Amino acid sequence: MSKFVDIQIDAAIVKRAARGDAKAHEIIYRAYSSLVYSVGLRFTRVPAHAEDLLQETFIEVMRSIGKFRGEAPLGSWIRRIAVSKALMFLRSAWHVRGQSLDDDWDDMTPGHGVSHGVSEQPDDAMDLDAALASLPDVSRAVVWLHDVEGFTHKEIAGLMGKTESFSKSQLSRAYQRLRPMLAHSVSAGDAALENELLGQC
Amino acid sequence: MNAGLSVAEHEILRRELQALPDTMPPRAVWQRIEEQARAEGLFTAKHHFERYKWVAGAAIAATVAMIALNSPMGSNPVVDPNDGATTVPTEVADGSIQDLNALKVESQILERNLRLLPEQPAVMKVSTATTIQDLQNRIAAIDYRLNDYTIKLEPEQEAIYWRERVRLMKSLVRLRYAQAQRIAF
Repeated sequence: MSKFVDIQIDAAIVKRAARGDAKAHEIIYRAYSSLVYSVGLRFTRVPAHAEDLLQETFIEVMRSIGKFRGEAPLGSWIRRIAVSKALMFLRSAWHVRGQSLDDDWDDMTPGHGVSHGVSEQPDDAMDLDAALASLPDVSRAVVWLHDVEGFTHKEIAGLMGKTESFSKSQLSRAYQRLRPMLAHSVSAGDAALENELLGQC
Repeated sequence: MNAGLSVAEHEILRRELQALPDTMPPRAVWQRIEEQARAEGLFTAKHHFERYKWVAGAAIAATVAMIALNSPMGSNPVVDPNDGATTVPTEVADGSIQDLNALKVESQILERNLRLLPEQPAVMKVSTATTIQDLQNRIAAIDYRLNDYTIKLEPEQEAIYWRERVRLMKSLVRLRYAQAQRIAF
């Protein structure tokens, strides 16, 4: 479950925020800022961009909280704004670079992260964070939205203005890239389990 | 299988991704958000007033002290801190172009008045220096937003920023004026 949904904010605080109470807005900011900032960092990888996205997200929260009906958790609502802003940023970055959101796997060169395919063995020092960072921006966003935030392919497609097949394809290719590292984790997990069993003998 | 991963692999990936630590943003981000929110009028007036009443209080106190002391003007430049405010209304009913232009003109007049004042003294009270710095920072933040070509502001939104800029400039001019008078005395 997304961490955004785990955080509960008192309805009275939300009401105060809707009336423009600065203190209430600060409470909401303190509760969600690290999550929103982390989404920004995961999507853009640049702290300055993540800070801008954080600012844009909370200004949007302040402008629109009067329309928040409370039918869904506040965290889900804030998460959607944050994700929407982050995806908008990716679109604009692509626009500046004269590229599209369609598929950026072909832009990856052997020197840019791990090369294509499933056969590459990961560097031992390469952790999940680095592996994630080595993915193309769109794929990284799809992995994050699907596996961390719990969005469905249909929802991701809607957010990105693409088809479900696009979302599935991006995820599949990302998994191929991440799989060698997972194999390392699985074997490490198996070894730990084996040791545990031997210790019990 | 899930897009090429076994169920176990997918579960491990999902768990490890969710376990990645979150990152705390720099403290300055909230200050920037707060400044923008105030400039856009997103906070209620009550809190707005509470936040700035000490600035207004300082300016009023300085003015009262100056009058009480009946300080001579001497050779210091004579600048009316209210210059501009008398001819242009501070509060603008709507965000029409005329009002926007009026705010810009008022802001220019206040800028001119500020430039006419003598340089700040090398030594001053910490509270005064902090207040001046705070006002200058807020004005700079507004200028940054107004000059950001990537953001297209509606005339109403622009008027909000300009109105806030005028308000801050007035506080700054009053404070610097009082400071100049104190030095002259």
